[in-house]
Amino acid sequence: MTEPGFFSPQWAAAVGDVLAAGPSERERDGKLPMYWDFFDKVKAGYASSWALGCRDLPAGIDTGPAYLHVQWGGGTVTGCHIAGPGEQRATYVLGMDYADWQALHGGYDAQRTVMYRKILVEEGNVLEFFKGIYFFTECLGLIGKVPADFTALAVR
Amino acid sequence: MTERKSPTAVLREGPRALSDEQVREIEEADLKGVLAVDIDDVIEYVHKDLKSLPDFTTLYRKYLKQRWDVYDLDFTQDKIDWTERMTEAERHSFLAIASGFHHGERQVEIELPVFMIGASEEEKLHIAAQIEDEARHTVFFDRFYREVVGLQGDDIMDILDASFPWVAETFVGPFGLLAYQADEVRRNPYDERARVRYGTTYFLWIEGVLALSVMKVTLSYARWRGFLPAYYTGFTATCRDESRHVQGGMKYLQDAVRKDPSMVNEIHETLRTILTLAGVASREVVYEPLGWTQDEVRMLFNQQLRRKLNDVGISLPPDLLAMVGSVQPVLAGG
Repeated sequence: MTEPGFFSPQWAAAVGDVLAAGPSERERDGKLPMYWDFFDKVKAGYASSWALGCRDLPAGIDTGPAYLHVQWGGGTVTGCHIAGPGEQRATYVLGMDYADWQALHGGYDAQRTVMYRKILVEEGNVLEFFKGIYFFTECLGLIGKVPADFTALAVR
Repeated sequence: MTERKSPTAVLREGPRALSDEQVREIEEADLKGVLAVDIDDVIEYVHKDLKSLPDFTTLYRKYLKQRWDVYDLDFTQDKIDWTERMTEAERHSFLAIASGFHHGERQVEIELPVFMIGASEEEKLHIAAQIEDEARHTVFFDRFYREVVGLQGDDIMDILDASFPWVAETFVGPFGLLAYQADEVRRNPYDERARVRYGTTYFLWIEGVLALSVMKVTLSYARWRGFLPAYYTGFTATCRDESRHVQGGMKYLQDAVRKDPSMVNEIHETLRTILTLAGVASREVVYEPLGWTQDEVRMLFNQQLRRKLNDVGISLPPDLLAMVGSVQPVLAGG
């Protein structure tokens, strides 16, 4: 089966499904129930949106960066789609380079992706964003596990 | 290490005055002499000048006298202690705590330069010295993990990669926040509100609370058991360095609030985020092999935070006071 292209509508839909489902029981193993209680509490009350940008998407949508737009509400994902430049309106706009997106999909740790500033908040209140950072980091790790075809971008 | 006090011997004693001789011993000890300095005294020394904070030039002059050569340490006995004398439970607990510092030192080293841009000329001297301190501390942990723990790698990042599995998922809370606040300062280096938020995370929480707690727990263990003499020497010297960092950081925050009392809101808002995150743990760390309990480490956290705030004259609103009581004892530092 062919993997959906990175930053394609099909990939965004698959990301939305994975985020709505959340971490599996296997993925929850090894971390304290207290940590997951916090994750679940944040998820249940989260009403913010993320525009996760790829700053240098090769042969991307139009020109300039593209964004994976994720809207949260009612404890789940209410929308997940690709937005082009100028359409990134969200509570938090974040940016990451293409190479770092590839590394995330290759298994690079989500916590270090944040800590080493590979992904950064470009618009939005940092202190408010960080109140949900464990939730965000776990979600970033889940996004990295969604299969994506990076080679397809070169031939678009 | 002239006596074998229990790790928590002075935990419940509260603030105590150091004699002039004790202060002189701490301030003037060379690297070899640091082995004889009691870590409880150095932790007390950190707080000694918080009520009347020294100026940045004084702190810089202290740095020039107190800097030490990390390559002078000999970890031969530490390796023997680690492999032949420490139990598996002790090694496991030690790494669960020290690894947060291994990574924390790297983080505070690389996130500090942007703060220098908007600082006064005198503070720039102090920050430049602090960056060199943090680089030296990074090398100290790199050497400890290579030469004692036995991790292998071609460069510093290889060793960081190898110790990362011991770092808790909640590490991203304070250190990710610092990275993002450093980026805010990078974009607006003269934004005093952004600088105060950054300073609260870096100087008050990471250095003033987390780091001093790691130092106290691991060093009081090493003193109690008579183990890891090079670790004790280097990390106690690191703690003496931290006294300048904490004092400089608290002076910065105190001056900022005196100049503009509304800055206390930035401190409170930053602590509100930090304490929200600090109320969660992702892994259970067993402290008993190092002579501590979870409750004692939590008490240590609370003491460290309250002493900084009290000494600098910053009070907390009721909701933050309640959050302080829920802090989980997850140790990291830098």
